[in-house]
Amino acid sequence: MKKLSVVVAGTGQIKDIEIQPGTTARDILDQLGLPDYLLSKGPNDPFFAAAESVYDKVADGEKIFASTKAEVGKASGRK
Amino acid sequence: MKVRVLSTKDAPSLLSRIIGQVLGGPAPIMAIKRSQIPYWHERGWRQEGRTYRGTYKTAYGSFIGRIEQVRPGNFRLYIFDPPRDVRKHRHWTCFQSQGNGRYRIHMSRMPDDVSSGILAIERLLTEAFEGR
Repeated sequence: MKKLSVVVAGTGQIKDIEIQPGTTARDILDQLGLPDYLLSKGPNDPFFAAAESVYDKVADGEKIFASTKAEVGKASGRK
Repeated sequence: MKVRVLSTKDAPSLLSRIIGQVLGGPAPIMAIKRSQIPYWHERGWRQEGRTYRGTYKTAYGSFIGRIEQVRPGNFRLYIFDPPRDVRKHRHWTCFQSQGNGRYRIHMSRMPDDVSSGILAIERLLTEAFEGR
């Protein structure tokens, strides 16, 4: 088991969680009620893929970020 | 006279220090409260009305930015004097020059909040520097 602190980027709210080996990013986001978010270790690291095991990529006690999806690009239906 | 001795006292003996520590017990644990602040604030951005000003920070450098909230969930993102490496990035065409070194960054998917927008640009800048 590893303990993690998930920081919701928009609010700064911190959610303390404990994960087991094999826990995926989707597992974490679903259980935190953040299905439209993405997890990352920070701005210098890529997002975790939904099915990627987070357990292997983080250290016990580490802080990771949950942020909403945002993409640079030409076409936007929400401008 | 440069030095004046006001008083003197004996240093505590090793024995009295040990006894003092045993009788006193361990120092009380102090709980440090974590700060729960939005990412934009943590990264030093400032808010003036619906406009946020700060720098996109990467391991390779910081770049002046501005984000205007048009309405909830809709933002205009800007970067000033973007680094040369971004010009080689596949998304360079999404940077629209507005003169005086200011570029508007077009988003194909808007972030829901300012913090997620900053994270997205910081990640893109890092990708550009790392040639990804």
